[in-house]
Amino acid sequence: MSLKTLAATAFATFLLSVPGAAFADAWTYADGSGNTVTVDHVPTRIIASQDAAAGLIPLGIRPVGIYVDSVVAEAKALEGLDLTGIEIIGEAWGEVSVEKAAALKPDLIVGEWWPLDKTWSGGADVVNALKPLAPITGPKQGASIVTLIEDYEKLAQSLGADLAAPGIAADKAAFEAARDKFKAAVAAKPDLTALAVWAGTDALYVAATEGSSELMDFASWGLKLIDPVIADDRGYWETLSWENADKYQPDLILVDNRSKATIETARAQATWTTLRAAAAGQVTDWPAFWLRNYAAYARELDKLTAAIDAANVSIGD
Amino acid sequence: MPPSATSATGLSPAARAGGFLLLALALVAVLVLSITVGARPIALGDIWNALTAFDPTQTNHKIILDLRLPRTLVGLLVGAALGLSGAILQGATRNPLADPGILGINAGATLCVVLGISVFGITQLSGYVWLAFLGAGAAMLVVYLVASLGREGATPVKLALAGAAVTAALTSVTSAILITNVETLDQIRFWQVGALTGRTTDILLQVAPFILAGIVLALLTSRILDGLALGDDVARGLGLKVQRGRAMVGFAAVILAGAATAAAGPIAFVGLTVPHLARAFTGPNYRWILPYSMLLAPMLLLGADIVGRIIVPPGELQVGIVTAALGAPFFIALVRRRKLAEL
Amino acid sequence: MSATQSFAPVGAVVAVRKRLARRYGLVVLGLTVLSLAVASLSMSIGDYPLPLVDVIASLLSPFTGNTDAANDFIVLGVRLPRVMAGLLSGAAFGLSGIIFQTILRNPLASPDIVGITTGASAAAVLAIIIFKWSGLGVSIMACGGAVLTALLIYGLAWRNGVTPYRLVLIGIGMAALAGAVVSYLFTRARIMEVQEALSWLTGSLNGSTFENLTPLAVSLLLLVPLAAFLSRALRTLQMGDDAATALGTRVEFSRLGLILVAVLLAAFATAAVGPVSFVAFVAGPIARRLLGPSGNALLPAALVGGLVTNAADFVAQHLLGRNQLPVGVVTGALGAVFLIYLLAAAHRSGRGG
Repeated sequence: MSLKTLAATAFATFLLSVPGAAFADAWTYADGSGNTVTVDHVPTRIIASQDAAAGLIPLGIRPVGIYVDSVVAEAKALEGLDLTGIEIIGEAWGEVSVEKAAALKPDLIVGEWWPLDKTWSGGADVVNALKPLAPITGPKQGASIVTLIEDYEKLAQSLGADLAAPGIAADKAAFEAARDKFKAAVAAKPDLTALAVWAGTDALYVAATEGSSELMDFASWGLKLIDPVIADDRGYWETLSWENADKYQPDLILVDNRSKATIETARAQATWTTLRAAAAGQVTDWPAFWLRNYAAYARELDKLTAAIDAANVSIGD
Repeated sequence: MPPSATSATGLSPAARAGGFLLLALALVAVLVLSITVGARPIALGDIWNALTAFDPTQTNHKIILDLRLPRTLVGLLVGAALGLSGAILQGATRNPLADPGILGINAGATLCVVLGISVFGITQLSGYVWLAFLGAGAAMLVVYLVASLGREGATPVKLALAGAAVTAALTSVTSAILITNVETLDQIRFWQVGALTGRTTDILLQVAPFILAGIVLALLTSRILDGLALGDDVARGLGLKVQRGRAMVGFAAVILAGAATAAAGPIAFVGLTVPHLARAFTGPNYRWILPYSMLLAPMLLLGADIVGRIIVPPGELQVGIVTAALGAPFFIALVRRRKLAEL
Repeated sequence: MSATQSFAPVGAVVAVRKRLARRYGLVVLGLTVLSLAVASLSMSIGDYPLPLVDVIASLLSPFTGNTDAANDFIVLGVRLPRVMAGLLSGAAFGLSGIIFQTILRNPLASPDIVGITTGASAAAVLAIIIFKWSGLGVSIMACGGAVLTALLIYGLAWRNGVTPYRLVLIGIGMAALAGAVVSYLFTRARIMEVQEALSWLTGSLNGSTFENLTPLAVSLLLLVPLAAFLSRALRTLQMGDDAATALGTRVEFSRLGLILVAVLLAAFATAAVGPVSFVAFVAGPIARRLLGPSGNALLPAALVGGLVTNAADFVAQHLLGRNQLPVGVVTGALGAVFLIYLLAAAHRSGRGG
């Protein structure tokens, strides 16, 4: 638990083994925050944030506990993952049960490093609560989901995962196939433009590409995303009054699919169809912010590719 | 305003009637502005055409008829409802702080909408209306029942305490749901700010009958309120049935504030401010405070909404924000300026 | 809410005083015992399986020297600071609330309602959403926001002196304004930031450490004696400004001093645990109804505050489903039920007001 126990265990291991061999078993990992974490053995009892769990479980690393920012049913990243036997130690932002976490006797906490907020997944309160139990580490959120998944692969491999296992390798192959089909579909329609949006009852929010890792992936694979001219003070969204919903006219609209309410809200607005792509039904899902593994990425890419294939490119400006 | 006008009696009867007419005219002007001004500049000719020769293929026509017109009418009704309910609640409880918010209406409406989103998966504004109405009514009823438990019945202090208690309890449940349901939080945050955006004709039609009935009922209570203002004992002495009078006022307030909240979300400031403003013109006479409040409140609400539409282009600022930003300094100035009569 | 002063023959007064003093003692004793009981319950029950013997051993370990790192972490590092956070913040909120309610002679005038806590919240949410701060930065902003709001309210209410009535009205105006700022920031932020802000706004004892409790503890040590000292003036003030002036109390000075104490108490408590709802509002009325007409309710209100907070936290941690919730989601409900019960109980005693 504490430094003292860790030190004691380390010392005992040191005494019982040939000098040098004790260090051969030590596990080190250079994480997304720029730190290098060292544990005296390969960690097996991992507590993961919801995102880290979504990255690690498909690679064969099963955490003993997960902390979630909401009820598990609403954590889009965890959708479809088998969580049996994994203790849920928190279901609200900032609230983890330190006691449940301690009872799990973790040897590593894995989250994601948020470079903008300079903290780990879940925010400072969660980090402070879990820090005394085990070192916190993980990859960094950045310009690409693919890079993030590759970081999870490296982490999982160091934790003993076999990336060549049939199921895991098949997921990766499926993703690569989906990505190639996506690239081909985009290349076949060089004039196609797309707009990523979130719809609220108050306004239509247009996303800037650099605000989201998966949009940057799509752009790097050739998709022409319309970037809002005036991003607001937050930098990543332009807020359009529903009176001005037709400011941009793309061929394809990507709607944030974290909640199904978003597309329903969009459809309920009288001026939604002033977007010609919306009137023509050229609307598909934007897997906004939640992709963490190849299987999910492949599924979402296939939907996008189908929408691109079906799109009439003369709709937009 | 000359010093004599700020005395407890306010304006002379003739001036009050004249003021009422002026206010009515000003309100009409605000209504016209509300249809002509918006986040998207639309030429006056286009607006006229949209109203007289509607062409559904024209975006501008659609915006006038589907967005601005219903939004303006909802604003008119909601404003009138908030102003009146605030005025009659302050009168009935003899508490200048009484506001639909403090008596549990907003908290009840919010909880029901939150439940609707999280449990029943309702995602659209028009679906919130009945839920919010139900929640507001139920909360107010509970507040009233709790306050009536003691021997003296629903005294002003007990009403205020019970209102705060019920609000706290309901808000607790709301927080418990929101803190774990991120999707619900994502939607409710745009509702609970209080807005007229996206209020369509079906929402207007859902709440209009209740608000119109509530207005009639509220205007009929002015005699009761003038009696209650003298204190329960004096009112009894004048032959007024204090408990029944207060219950009738409460009923009108629930219908008005409940329907207003159902249509626009919780807009806390209008009901609190406008009666004080009206009183500054009229003096302590509910026969005049009520109609003045009924006209002043929609002016404030729609005026704030118009400001919100053009202040952050190409987006909009929700009316609940603007009413607070405009209303709070104004309210504070009012409180400082006048020696407010105890109600 | 105010205690009514009655005039009666001297002998009767002495008898009544004795009875009231006994009642006061009983109330304080009862509240203390209850607080200790709830604290013990919270110390001994938790998700980390730990027999009572080990809990006691851990608690005594600073004296006995028998340490056990894992157990001590749970008992001394998690449970004890949590219970202390509940007691201290609850006491601070309770005191702050009853001072406000008494001075402003309005049961609605607790720092929750007259804008002090809302001002702190707006400042904190601003820090979280716009400046992307967390931890200490947010606490400092909250504290500053509370004090600044209070000064603003007092300054704006000043016009040849301050009437309670004007102060409360302006406070409500400021609360509405600050509330609108919070709502606005909620609509502008990423949902993740909204979650973080909401979590702070709810108020939580999670992650309390002795370290982040220190400012609150120090402020209580300084402010409680001050509050007690000024409470004599407070009691005089209850009779109304005219009477108090006649008795020679410097009304404005005492009022300002007490309000300042109350503001600081609310500010430090909010900075430590967030604006835990309703504790400040409910502690005073509950204490007064327990005491009946017998005078100084400061200490009982502080005890009620701590009790309500810790009882609510126990419910939030253990009695509401699978995972713990922040204490703030329960204080409101628990306080409300208690208050409603007391309002209802007035039916029997015949005291309605």
